[in-house]
Amino acid sequence: MRSPAATTALRPFITDKLFLGLSLRDYLRSLATPGSLTAIGILAIGIPVIIYRFVYGLGAATNLTQANPWGIWIGIDVLSGVALAAGGYTLATTVYIFGMRDYHSVVRPALLTGFLGYFFVVVGLLVDLGRPWNLPVPMLFSFGTTSVMFEVAWCVALYTLVLFLEFSPALFEWLGLEKWRERAMKLLLPATILGVILSTLHQSSLGALFLMVPTKLHPLWYSPFIPIFFFISSIIAGLSMVIVESNLAHKYFPSRIEPGHAGDLDRITLGLSRAASVVLFAYFFLKLQGLADAGAWHLIGTAYGAWYLVEMLGFVLAPCLLFAWAARTSNPTLARWTAALTVAGIVVNRLNVSVIAMNWNAPEVYVPSVMEIITTLTIITMGILVYRFIVNRMPILRLLPQYPDTH
Amino acid sequence: MPHDILTLYSSKALEYGIAISFLVLFIPFWRFVMKPAPAPAAARVAERPRVPVAEAVEWFQFARDVGFHPGHAWARFGQGALATVGMDDFARQLVGSQASLELPPPGTTLVQGEPAWSLRNGDRQVAMLSPVDGVVTEVNPAVGSTVGSLGGDPFGTGWLMQVEVRRPAANERTLLSGDAARAWLQTTTDALRMRIAPDMGLVMQDGGTLVDGLARAIDEDNWDAVAREFLRS
Repeated sequence: MRSPAATTALRPFITDKLFLGLSLRDYLRSLATPGSLTAIGILAIGIPVIIYRFVYGLGAATNLTQANPWGIWIGIDVLSGVALAAGGYTLATTVYIFGMRDYHSVVRPALLTGFLGYFFVVVGLLVDLGRPWNLPVPMLFSFGTTSVMFEVAWCVALYTLVLFLEFSPALFEWLGLEKWRERAMKLLLPATILGVILSTLHQSSLGALFLMVPTKLHPLWYSPFIPIFFFISSIIAGLSMVIVESNLAHKYFPSRIEPGHAGDLDRITLGLSRAASVVLFAYFFLKLQGLADAGAWHLIGTAYGAWYLVEMLGFVLAPCLLFAWAARTSNPTLARWTAALTVAGIVVNRLNVSVIAMNWNAPEVYVPSVMEIITTLTIITMGILVYRFIVNRMPILRLLPQYPDTH
Repeated sequence: MPHDILTLYSSKALEYGIAISFLVLFIPFWRFVMKPAPAPAAARVAERPRVPVAEAVEWFQFARDVGFHPGHAWARFGQGALATVGMDDFARQLVGSQASLELPPPGTTLVQGEPAWSLRNGDRQVAMLSPVDGVVTEVNPAVGSTVGSLGGDPFGTGWLMQVEVRRPAANERTLLSGDAARAWLQTTTDALRMRIAPDMGLVMQDGGTLVDGLARAIDEDNWDAVAREFLRS
């Protein structure tokens, strides 16, 4: 039984911090929105599906086979998830290392998106791997130091921790833990530097995984440069995701936005589009270089070639020019739509490499099962719900007055 | 594709060609992306703000030729789509001359009734709402980083920015002007008097001038809340 003092200390914590100052009944009522109900519906179906996968195994829940061992859980949840979470290291570097403090107001949302992105990448990976109790084996007891997988596993684990450290000042401010916050703030710069190193390593290593399958991956997508492609496109994904995410946050959490920041956001959006257009420009030429190196021009005329052109022209060159045009004409609305197109393009690229152009000449074709799709939707929904929970409570979009100079 | 010497040379040549075309094309692309768009023609022949008609509502200057937003920002519509935007004397005196002024840069899109620029004093800041919908084309170069730099002429030389307004007629109709604006400012002034009445030290008994930074004088610790109440942000 709790002492009366503990109960009185706990109650304000629960009502103020968790229920946003509402009573339990009012708080639950405030959750009864179409969005929340949809999310609850997805979780109600998805969580039993995930349990089913752990109980009965991959064979029962998925269409994965020995020939097609990687499906959309890897293509979307892991590969796209890691790329789209790159906003954390991109923006943290911009602000804390390059000192471009104009972008400070989007660092915390970017770090939060990054942290949640990686956290749910790990969740997705665990669903794919199964047997979570075996996880310490490759991490601690049986190093496969010659394997790219080993490097990816350690990098992702360490970087998730680094992202938590970078995000933790907001958590400690919310909990009112002054001393902890000070310590976390001191770690911010070293954590950012470590974050860039780890991201450079594993963003490219995820591409390097595909160096092992030169015959399985279609020649238009296979290239010895694929680690570089993955790394460069992660910068594009990060920048675009920050634009998309910050604009959605302004739209759906208006009460959490610092007053006077509407104009600020347009300026930041245009600055990020400028950067994204330049990186996309370089990426487009790098991809051309990959194509020339592979000598795969003759495959452009095939069905896969047409799909390759859709990716290159529709999701790389078009966003590059649209971002440039948006920056040039100061059109933040165009920049936002272009960012959404680019984010879609990154998912298309990762799916192409890991699923669509993989085993292109094999007789067996992989199509994800309904349970795989439900699981992916469930993981994304959990990510959005946790994001909403945090943004509504912690100083992410808006600073607390007692910590004005936080970022 | 056979990997004989000639094929190798041709594919290397292609790779060098791609690298060189990248470098050559990158220069104009960079210049295109980095250079801000030239201001619209309308902005370049902008009509300069006129000196307003001197008029006052109690302690505050008032202008007949501008439209007032209830958040104490004003807009003066000129020929075409261009409007001059500023903050009124009430807002100026409310936050005080030492408050710093953070204006949006040219190219920023403003939305009527949404925060457009902010006023900061110490670690607290208050937003002011835009009186129009449009894109900022120019910021008054004569205005510095503090409210004090507006000088004593908030409706004239103390204008804040030029905005290319998307819907000038519709925006103008929603703003208060003339006698309606005067009556509104009188009501607001009365409300302010009610706030400061309990502390008569603020006002000279003989109807003299107000202290600089009224909001701070009303409530030192929560000046931003007081300012927000009057500026409706």
